[in-house]
Amino acid sequence: MKKRTKIIALLMATIVGSSLLAGCGAGTDTKSSKSDSSSDTEKADSADKTSSDGDDQTLTVWAWDQSFNIYAMKEAEKIYQKDHPDFKLNIVETPWDDMQTQLGTIVGSGNYSQLPDICLMQDFAFQKYVTTYPDLYQDITDSGIDFSKFAESKLAASTIDGKNYGVPFDNGAEVACYRTDILDQAGYTLDDLTDIDWNKFIEIGTDVYEKTGYSLLSVQAGSSDLIYQMMQSAGFGTWKDDGTPDIAGNEHIKQCIEIYQEMVEAHVLAVVNSWDEYVATFTSGKTAGVINGCWILASIQTAEDQSGNWGLTDMPAIPDAETATNYSNQGGSTWAITTNCKNTELAEDFLAKTFAGSVELYDTILPSSGALATWLPASESEVYSEPQEFFGGQAIYKQISDFASKTPTVDLGVYYTEANQALATAVANVSGGSDIDSELKTAQDTVEFNMGQ
Amino acid sequence: MRQKQNATGWLFLVPAIILICGFSIYPMISALITSFKTGTGTNMTFTGLTNYIRCFKDDVFIQSLKNCFFYLIIQVPVMLILALALASILNNPKIKARGFFRTAIFLPCATSLVAYAIIFRSLFATDGFINTIAVKLGILDSAYNFLANPLSAKIVIIIALVWRWTGYNMVFYLAGLQNIEYSVYEAAKIDGASAIQTFFKITVPLLKPTILMTAIMSTNGTLQLFDESMNLTHGGPGNASITMSHYIYNMSFKGVPNFGYTSAMSFIILIMVAILALVQMKVGDDRE
Repeated sequence: MKKRTKIIALLMATIVGSSLLAGCGAGTDTKSSKSDSSSDTEKADSADKTSSDGDDQTLTVWAWDQSFNIYAMKEAEKIYQKDHPDFKLNIVETPWDDMQTQLGTIVGSGNYSQLPDICLMQDFAFQKYVTTYPDLYQDITDSGIDFSKFAESKLAASTIDGKNYGVPFDNGAEVACYRTDILDQAGYTLDDLTDIDWNKFIEIGTDVYEKTGYSLLSVQAGSSDLIYQMMQSAGFGTWKDDGTPDIAGNEHIKQCIEIYQEMVEAHVLAVVNSWDEYVATFTSGKTAGVINGCWILASIQTAEDQSGNWGLTDMPAIPDAETATNYSNQGGSTWAITTNCKNTELAEDFLAKTFAGSVELYDTILPSSGALATWLPASESEVYSEPQEFFGGQAIYKQISDFASKTPTVDLGVYYTEANQALATAVANVSGGSDIDSELKTAQDTVEFNMGQ
Repeated sequence: MRQKQNATGWLFLVPAIILICGFSIYPMISALITSFKTGTGTNMTFTGLTNYIRCFKDDVFIQSLKNCFFYLIIQVPVMLILALALASILNNPKIKARGFFRTAIFLPCATSLVAYAIIFRSLFATDGFINTIAVKLGILDSAYNFLANPLSAKIVIIIALVWRWTGYNMVFYLAGLQNIEYSVYEAAKIDGASAIQTFFKITVPLLKPTILMTAIMSTNGTLQLFDESMNLTHGGPGNASITMSHYIYNMSFKGVPNFGYTSAMSFIILIMVAILALVQMKVGDDRE
């Protein structure tokens, strides 16, 4: 009996001991386990150890989408390896939400050695990270990368005080895609929805809903992205020249929210709760259209059974606005080199020869991932004019490049996320029956409060 | 000899003390210092108590505070009463398959917080299980968007919390009930006490320490609620169901970070938890 108790005690001690050890190890293990998806673990570890070594030919990269930016990085690696056989990338898949918390904690704790060499950054957050964490990214203005070859509106996101901090990657030009078979049932064609304004859109949408039961558009609840897209299409922003928020009493925002409300009430716009539901509305055939940044094409094309039934055109414009256009932007991202990178020359040269200098790279990644270049020489490539079967043989990439060149530039500001969330709250409350003016006033107060110290 | 024994005792405690100091005390002190600083990201300066004053001028923080107390006032009593009732039912030796029922009711708290929040989210989605059943049975005319209405979103969170935590508290009560001598119940029975009388006159008073403990734990847990707000409702619609911890997270990692302000908010939660626990202990104290 006594022996048994002893054995049990020993067992328990072993379990507790080993779990403690495992707990301690977890902190250092995360990096290698995360990189499992990119390549083998050993490589990740060795890269980790040597990233401080000046002669090393391996760069660590953080990006978040396997089929999109990680894929593009891998192709870039292959191209650069042709001239530099020793060169290697260690790509770590880091979702955007995780990246924000990780960057915040790493820089906050001052432990810069945990940073990657190259980091992908959302355009809307670029200014915020450069201004709030001045030591995070390197100024690469004099790196020899020819920044004049990038679209100016795109470059604005990563340029702070005239200094370049990033190499632009993908474009978020706004596209409007519609199910041509459903439009046909209601007696419309793609041309009827091209170069129109929102009033016309609501008119057609109401008719389509009555005839077919499909909403023309869907949107995620608690998001103000659509409002932002509408605003940018006419060059309207949410900031005054002196950097204070311009939300309360802003007639343009009010007009956009009114259009939004009108669409919801007319069943033209279906509101769903989450991103997954949003994607499902068009892939499972509940809505007949999508208006969003062109990266949404990857999601649309997952519905292979709908191939050939989609058409692409420009978005509706804001009615009665002098500066109104049919072009806007949502999202897009930029590569940046962190201060942890000990081999800056290599990183700069790599980016200069690939994302800022290789037509071949963009020719490879465009057809398979839809990553639309912001590097201007790439858009002259023939790949852009190839007809896309999924979109009924339209040469959509040529069209999108054209949209991108006409998109008005809007300064999203350092406090973009705050303004975006405050507006999202306003939109949600207005949908719940609140008065627009007082909600915009509240949003203004919230943003001003967040900007204060 | 005595001194030597003492020294050996302390030696065994040293690893634990070092770990607690390194991973618990040091971060707390560091956070306290941060809460007196303000600035964005790494550009911080000392400003004294401004962050604490700022909290009470922040409409969204006040809103999140109200939400937390709404959950606290409604969810904690409902859950504890339910747990107590279930525990006394399942303590009855006449019930068959008690072990099965105990396990079944306890099982939800073995699920991951994130996983169960996402499952509740899909249950209450517009095209989710609850809506489909309700429409099929004719209870609802058309699907109701539970997560788009401020009140129903909060109620969904409360339902989720009750499902997740009732079994957890029930186990404490069951353990407490084992300490009550069966003879006490027998004596009551002989004296002609009804089931309800035994419950209120014997079970509840004798379980008081356990009830107190579960109440303090639940209060603490509710004020620090995060996963449900984050994953189930995303704090929405608007900020109607956001909790304090979720708001702190948003302020730290979503927008322009101000870690001084967010640390100050965390300490306000700490102070509130401490005060509420103290009140509950005073109320539950029998000694006059």
